[in-house]
Amino acid sequence: MADYENFVRAQLPRLLRYATMLTGEREQAADLVQDVLVKVYRRWSRISDADHPERYVVRMVTNGYLSWRHSRAARLIAVGDLPDEVRPGDLASEHALREDMWQRLARLPRRQRAVVVLRYYEQSPDSEIADLLGCAQATVRAHAHKALTTLRKGLAIEQQMAKAKEN
Amino acid sequence: MDRELMDTENLITDTFTAHEHVAPDADTVFAATRQRIDRRRTVLSRPLAVAAGVVALTLAAVTVVALNRSDSADNAQVGAPPTEAQATGPATDPAAPGLAMPYDLGWLPQGEVDYLVHRINIGGADKDQDKPLYGGEYMLTVTINGQVIDVDVQQFRMVQVDEATFKSGPGSPVTINGQPGVESSVSDGPGGYELYMAHPDGGSMYVNVSPEHGSTAGAQQLTDIGRQIAQNIRFPGTTTVTPTFGLRDLPNGLRICAFDVEKGFGDAASDRAGEAEPRTSYSLGTCDTMPPLHVYVADKDAPAGTAGQPVQGHQTSYADENGYRTLWVLDAVKGAPVAIAGKVPLTDLYDVANHLVLTS
Repeated sequence: MADYENFVRAQLPRLLRYATMLTGEREQAADLVQDVLVKVYRRWSRISDADHPERYVVRMVTNGYLSWRHSRAARLIAVGDLPDEVRPGDLASEHALREDMWQRLARLPRRQRAVVVLRYYEQSPDSEIADLLGCAQATVRAHAHKALTTLRKGLAIEQQMAKAKEN
Repeated sequence: MDRELMDTENLITDTFTAHEHVAPDADTVFAATRQRIDRRRTVLSRPLAVAAGVVALTLAAVTVVALNRSDSADNAQVGAPPTEAQATGPATDPAAPGLAMPYDLGWLPQGEVDYLVHRINIGGADKDQDKPLYGGEYMLTVTINGQVIDVDVQQFRMVQVDEATFKSGPGSPVTINGQPGVESSVSDGPGGYELYMAHPDGGSMYVNVSPEHGSTAGAQQLTDIGRQIAQNIRFPGTTTVTPTFGLRDLPNGLRICAFDVEKGFGDAASDRAGEAEPRTSYSLGTCDTMPPLHVYVADKDAPAGTAGQPVQGHQTSYADENGYRTLWVLDAVKGAPVAIAGKVPLTDLYDVANHLVLTS
């Protein structure tokens, strides 16, 4: 299974970043990717024969996220420490804006968030997103529109409240 | 595109990029994944043929094994034969005792089935330390007329029906065999049919029927299959699965905290050769915390390592990878080695090896 290990080592950093953007949490991302990699191991003979196994695994991560059940069971494998809250070098205002957006993204329905992550983080075209999610491009656009509307509306309200406070 | 929209889109991209540092460490996740794979190594075998309405998972009506946490350590060990294995002599038992599942699947759709069954018993709930967190789980891949469907049936001891979470929406109320439940079905994407129904003794049973990628099984078909599986779950279980090797009279207070028996999911060459047997693995420990020892059938390829002391008439080899040690008992199961692995002293691995029940 050396080819499985080589594949995993090559893909793991990207998969973990992607899962982090989907879940918004380090531990959930680790759990999600672990679950997928165990399944990949079980099905490696099939997956490795695919034209683009990396895409297949990204699809598995996406599907895993969309069907993720928040288990109340104890976490079997604990990984890593919590990240620092603030990154050095960040301008405070920009940092605050991004943290605010991060929280808003976390509140999006999962399918909308998946579309947003694929569009704005993975920079995937709508056709690929549609293929990945198993839906029509129009559905992708609808999810993106709803997500952006929600995010912009939230931002607009916050800005109005901030202006009102200033006045 | 208006300026505000562009700003929002740029902010989203910046937000994601700025949070890349939240991603877990790849080496740590890789190591954890490998640990999990060690516990549930895959098997190379032919699919199990299932006749209509008959669940072929009832493989052997043999010794029932109690894995409940409230049992004593002695009782928790896999069915103990009368005599202890000799460290230097060959195994004499004709077969490893069967492993009991806590419930039965009384119905499966007609087709070919690959399966993985688990019984896991690690840790207790905060409120009731004697109540295990996990029950049993059947993971099945059913091939019906070329359509491949994944079936997952789990017992959630600590999740009530009203706490059910679905991938889409809150779910709809449903009654299955007089038990309240909630179900959800998604027709235009992954996930398929999901159902939580109340377990008679508390907690819930979870049924998930979903199409594998490329399958065209319809939402109604998945729902029908899922409901019928749920209607035919039987408590308590009489299903036992036959492992390819067993354990008995475990030393040092060790207990079996979990086992996996897996059939199918192999590579094509081995499937064609028909050479594989169901793969078995165990996790051993005190069952209060994560089990530190994993025992499983390893790949047939000769493992790298240093030659060790003979165990039960079998040659051994061992390796030490930064304190994570593996002892292979060679030619133990149909020519394949049984591996005992964990971050423990090598002597502990030999202790377990001497208590393997290997079929001749």
